[in-house]
Amino acid sequence: MTQAPGPHFSPDDIDLWLDGTLAAERARHLDACRQCLEMALAEREIVEQISALPLMNPSAGFTERVMQSVSVPDPFAIRSISTARRRLFANPRSVATAASLLLVLVGSMAGSIVWSLNNQDTLAAFGTWILAQGGQAAWLAIRGVASNVIEQPWYEGAKVLVGNPTRLALASGLASFAYLGGVLALRRLLALPTPGVAHASL
Amino acid sequence: MAKGVEWVRLTDQEVVLQARAGQDAAYRELIRRYERPVFALLFRMVRDRELAEDLAQETFIKALNAIESYRPEFKFSSWIFKIANNAAIDHLRRRELDTLSLDGSPHAETPEAMQATALQIGGRQESPLDAVEARELGGMIEEAIGRLRPEYRSCILLRHVEGRAYEEIAEILNLPLGTVKTYIHRARNELRQALAHLKE
Repeated sequence: MTQAPGPHFSPDDIDLWLDGTLAAERARHLDACRQCLEMALAEREIVEQISALPLMNPSAGFTERVMQSVSVPDPFAIRSISTARRRLFANPRSVATAASLLLVLVGSMAGSIVWSLNNQDTLAAFGTWILAQGGQAAWLAIRGVASNVIEQPWYEGAKVLVGNPTRLALASGLASFAYLGGVLALRRLLALPTPGVAHASL
Repeated sequence: MAKGVEWVRLTDQEVVLQARAGQDAAYRELIRRYERPVFALLFRMVRDRELAEDLAQETFIKALNAIESYRPEFKFSSWIFKIANNAAIDHLRRRELDTLSLDGSPHAETPEAMQATALQIGGRQESPLDAVEARELGGMIEEAIGRLRPEYRSCILLRHVEGRAYEEIAEILNLPLGTVKTYIHRARNELRQALAHLKE
């Protein structure tokens, strides 16, 4: 061998040579340096042996075993959230609209709170007036209904019935039987026909 | 995405997006893509089939349940290998397995320190069954890899079995690039010495 060009191979040189990316000029060192050539060939042999190691598989059913412990998110929930998000941030205009709405909402809420705190007397007076007006209206409505009932032709008969406990009990019993009969009839009418079940005896 | 999608055509990042959208099939596709390399790495790290399978399962469950925290600007392979490697290293540390090195501690700076931290080959207790299995899996080279320090083992397996770039290995193992190169060089050196008797 002649005088080898350049210094001996460094580990980086060997890596590049193994990858086939070492500059040709630098690689020529191997032509003249037995020591580096032997080292490079030995490294290549090791790398080839490692690269030739067999591929390995986990046992059958590995995927299923993993999937049993993985929580896959609900696609519908994600889709609705992501769709809303996508629509909201679709373009600067939609973002500006959403921001304006939010501003109006928050602003009006804040304004309402500030006004209420500064006008508590007005609010209290308004509440009292509302209560008084509501009570008066309710009393008028009750009186109207009562006078209406008294004027009905069946009112006197009902009054006699309520006045006699035996008659009242009899009327209540009859009404309860009629109600029960009605409920049972309705249930029968609403029940779906039962279809035949194939191989039901198996 | 509709059913019948050609998963093979999608990149890992695209499959992850589908998984995040709640596609069960996307999760299965990620497992299909990485079950073999992850299992192989773990098996060669812990040298126990059942344990490697448990760790692989743990790796996938951890990764897939945390798929929201995966950052798509990084390779999915780096992420899953990082989780797998951490699982293996944690296990090896817990069990305090006898690890052997001809060169001593990877952090040793001087020849004396390396000598002081070096362990002798033969100290590792390997069952006859393990030995038979190792021979079946590739003979002496497999055994020699099993005797390397875990850090060297991860580096050499990721580089020469999985074909990962130095930069990716550095990212996976959270090590400086120079350290990864040093570990791989030392690992190859140890393997060459461990297998030298075969040539004699």
